[in-house]
Amino acid sequence: MAETTEAVATHEQAGALTPEHEMSHEEAANDRVMFGFWVYLMTDLLMFSVLFAVYAVLHANTVGGPGGGQLFSLKQALIETLILLTSSFTCGLGMIAARKGDKTQVLAWFGVTFLLGLAFLGLEVKEFAEFVHEGHTLSSNAFLSSFFSLVGTHGLHITSGLLWMGVILAFVIKRGLNKHMVRKLALLSLFWHFLDIVWIFIFTIVYLMAFTA
Amino acid sequence: MSKKQSPENTQHTEHGTTASYIVGFVLSLIFTAIPYYMVVNKTVTGRALVATLLGFAIWQMLIQIFFFLHLGRGPKPFYNVVFFVSTVGIIVMVTVGSIFIINHLQANMAPMDTTKKLAQDEGISQVSGKQTGACNDIGENHKIIIKDGMATPAHTQAKLCDSMTFINEDSKVRDMAFGSHPNHEIYGGESEETARKGYPKTITLNQAGTYQYHDHLDPAVHGFFSVEP
Repeated sequence: MAETTEAVATHEQAGALTPEHEMSHEEAANDRVMFGFWVYLMTDLLMFSVLFAVYAVLHANTVGGPGGGQLFSLKQALIETLILLTSSFTCGLGMIAARKGDKTQVLAWFGVTFLLGLAFLGLEVKEFAEFVHEGHTLSSNAFLSSFFSLVGTHGLHITSGLLWMGVILAFVIKRGLNKHMVRKLALLSLFWHFLDIVWIFIFTIVYLMAFTA
Repeated sequence: MSKKQSPENTQHTEHGTTASYIVGFVLSLIFTAIPYYMVVNKTVTGRALVATLLGFAIWQMLIQIFFFLHLGRGPKPFYNVVFFVSTVGIIVMVTVGSIFIINHLQANMAPMDTTKKLAQDEGISQVSGKQTGACNDIGENHKIIIKDGMATPAHTQAKLCDSMTFINEDSKVRDMAFGSHPNHEIYGGESEETARKGYPKTITLNQAGTYQYHDHLDPAVHGFFSVEP
C-alpha cells in the first residue's frame, strides 16, 4: 500500500516539468472554463464557415440587381476593419492591465474598446440602412440574402459582445477588480479577438473580393 | 537565465506583453493595408488577386492567433491548439466541400433554356448587364389562326417584344414547333407549344430574326414569322 502511493508520487513528479507548473485548483478551474469557452468559439466558427460557403456560392446570383462591386464602399469597409483591429488591440491592453490588477486602466482600455465596437456597429447599421433604403433588401436576391445573413450574424455577435462588455464593466466599477472579473474579462477578450478574425475574412471575402472582377 | 523560470515570466509568455500586442497590431495593420491597395490599384487581377487576398487573410488570422489569442504559447493550452486545428480541418471540409458540390449543382441544374424560361416568366430583362431575352413590356399581339389544316397568316411581321398567339380552331391537337420539319430549333427558350381547341398559346417574340414554325404532328400546318430588332 505504501509502495503504491510512493510510486504514484514519483510518477506525478516525473510528469510535472517543474514545481511551478503544477496547477492549483483555481488554475485548473480557470483552465476548464477557458477550454469550454474555446469549444464554443470553435463551434461558432463552424457556423460562420457555413455562412461563408453560402456566400461564396450565391454571391454572383444578383438576378439583374447590382452586385457587391456596385453596392459596397471599400473605404467604409476599410474604416470598419481599422476600427475593429484597433479595438482588438485596446482589448489586449485592457487584459494586460486586468492581470496587473489596475482597475483604472482596465476601465480606460475596455472603455475605448467599447466605444470602438459601438462605432463599428454604427457604421454597419448605417450601411445596412442605406442598402434597405435603396431597395436592396434581404429578399431582393440570393446575393443579398447571403450577404445580410453573414455580415448580420457578425454584427449580432458584436452587439452581444458589447452588451457583455457593458455588464462586466458595470460590475468592475461597482465591485472592483477581483479574480472572477479577470476571468470574465479574459473570456470576453477571447471572444472579441475571435470576432476580429471573423471580420478579417468578411473584409477579404465579401468586400475586397467584390472588387476583383 | 534562472530568471526565465520564475512564475511571473511564464505568465507573461502565456498571456502576451504590451510589446507583443503592439507587434501584432502593427503587423495586422500592414496585412490589411497591402491587400486593400492591391485591390484599389489593381496591380494583380482575376484569380491571382483572389488567391493573394485569401493568402493575406490567412496570414492575418495567424498573426492574430499568435499575438492576440496567444494560442499554443505557454505550457498549458496545448489541447486548445489540437481542438483549433481539428476545427480548421472540419471548416475546410465543410466550406470547400459545399462550395464544390453546390457550385456543380448550380451549374448542372440550370441549363440555358431553364434560365431563359425563368427569366421570361419573371420578366427579368437582364442579368448582370446581359440581356436575357425577356421583355419587360410586351408590344402588339399577333394572332395565327389554325383552321382546317391551314395557318393564317402564313407570314407574320412583328417587332421585338411583341407577342404571338397560336389559336387552334381545329379539334386536332397542334404541337407547334419551331424550325422546318423535321429539324426543330428552340425559339426564346421554347421548343414546342401545344395548342388545343379553346386553349390558345402565346409566346413572347424575344429573339430577332426570321423563324419557321410547323405542327410537329401535321407538318402541312406551317408558316414563318420575322421579328425586327
